[in-house]
Amino acid sequence: MNVVIKIEKDKKKGIVSFMKSLLEKGIVNQILLPMKTPTKTSFAYILTKKPDILDNCDPIAPVMPIQGARIVSKLTKKGPLKGVTAVILRPCELRALRELVKLRQAQLNGLLTISFDCPGVFPLRDYLNGDKEKMDEIFWQAINRCELEGSRPLCSICHLFTGELADIEIGFGGIEPDTICLTSHSEIGERALHELGYEEATLENRQIYLAEIKEKKLAKRKEFFEEFRHKIKGPERIMAVLTNCINCHNCMRVCPICFCRECFFDSDTFKVSPEDYMLRAERKGGLRFMPDTLLFHLGRMNHMSISCVACGMCEDACPTSVPVARIFALVANETQALFNYIPGKDLEEPIPYLTYQEEELKEYEQPYTEEYAP
Amino acid sequence: MDFTPKIVYFLCAWCGSGGSETAGAYRLKYPENVRPFRVMCTGALDPVYILRCLIEGADGVVVSGCHPGDCHYNFGNYRGRRRIAIIKKILDTLGLDSDRVWLRWVAHGEGKKMVDTAKEFNDHIIQKGINPFNNRWDT
Repeated sequence: MNVVIKIEKDKKKGIVSFMKSLLEKGIVNQILLPMKTPTKTSFAYILTKKPDILDNCDPIAPVMPIQGARIVSKLTKKGPLKGVTAVILRPCELRALRELVKLRQAQLNGLLTISFDCPGVFPLRDYLNGDKEKMDEIFWQAINRCELEGSRPLCSICHLFTGELADIEIGFGGIEPDTICLTSHSEIGERALHELGYEEATLENRQIYLAEIKEKKLAKRKEFFEEFRHKIKGPERIMAVLTNCINCHNCMRVCPICFCRECFFDSDTFKVSPEDYMLRAERKGGLRFMPDTLLFHLGRMNHMSISCVACGMCEDACPTSVPVARIFALVANETQALFNYIPGKDLEEPIPYLTYQEEELKEYEQPYTEEYAP
Repeated sequence: MDFTPKIVYFLCAWCGSGGSETAGAYRLKYPENVRPFRVMCTGALDPVYILRCLIEGADGVVVSGCHPGDCHYNFGNYRGRRRIAIIKKILDTLGLDSDRVWLRWVAHGEGKKMVDTAKEFNDHIIQKGINPFNNRWDT
């Protein structure tokens, strides 16, 4: 079902009144959405039952301090909440959440997921140090173009920027400027829109508009990867990029996919005797401390790149500005293409590590056709 | 040539190691710089260990296990193949020479194939030369 809502003041107010009506009409029991903290300096997710609180909320934040999938995972890991919970998530957060559902780290039961045309987010550091009011304004102006100046590098090449995986999608692009549109993609979403008493509308131009933007972004994405691949190719260059890493493992801690209670790279495997360190030092002529920088990044790629949603959290969290997210997105793009896998897209499709086909990947086996005689 | 590469050979406990036993029974020889390691299954080998070998100074890594369809655990080697494919893809993307990792199936009776693989890989790595991470202390 498609719905077009006329809005009076601005888009933000339109979304807020929609969210409030969900609560007031009893369609949902509680809402989880981003809100400016009382100090007005940053954003945080708030879980609330009170419609009044929503008056001052920012349903769509211009930054992503915490990945929403992590929040929903924390909330629902031990079971669903009573009643229906509406939750606003960015497209990448939603994809990560669906990936976590497959990994049994979160539940979609009792959730009404709402997503939207995402223009991207500002890097957290830029926002915290910058003119916040001005950046808020720029953000809301960019929202129907789905393109934000000065966003995270990965946001500018994101081609999965629409909320089509959510129960209800909020749209801004390709429609009249003083309207927002709502599209339901599931039964629960359709029921909610019906109960709110909206009327069906057609959104033909919107699809064309979005397809155009997507094509543009895909071209940009390809160009970016080609250029970036050259920058990090080879042992010399990759070490030049990773050499600033201080082994804080922040990138792993903020990653929505890295759900392990104890990361392998924090485990006792890497806490060895001093003699062992000395052995390693002697073997290579010396040993960098902290050790295992390259192993950490390559190993993490190997563990989670197949599920990476390219949200860019890792790069935001890096204190030394290593372009982690760009490296991971580049690698994830390749490994996911190996199995034509888009993380979070299909809840029924198993994660490639957990399944197999009998006839596949022959090119990765070393052929042995005749006897080897040196 | 005086370059003797360090080569790690991961063999699965059922077919790969069986192949080396058969090789032993026939008194077949393979280069002494190839160090065999027994793992329970190619699917049980986390590619992080392959990475660790390559970063910590091995010049090449071979993995051998049961032929597809023959796995003792029914589908371990299918999963192993996916893991090796992913790790090779990652190395390729970053330009880290995925040709230093080989996957070749060796059955219990194929002692000759196991020895041939060790020899062939050894020659292949000698031709490639030393692993660039071998002398880097900053990894």
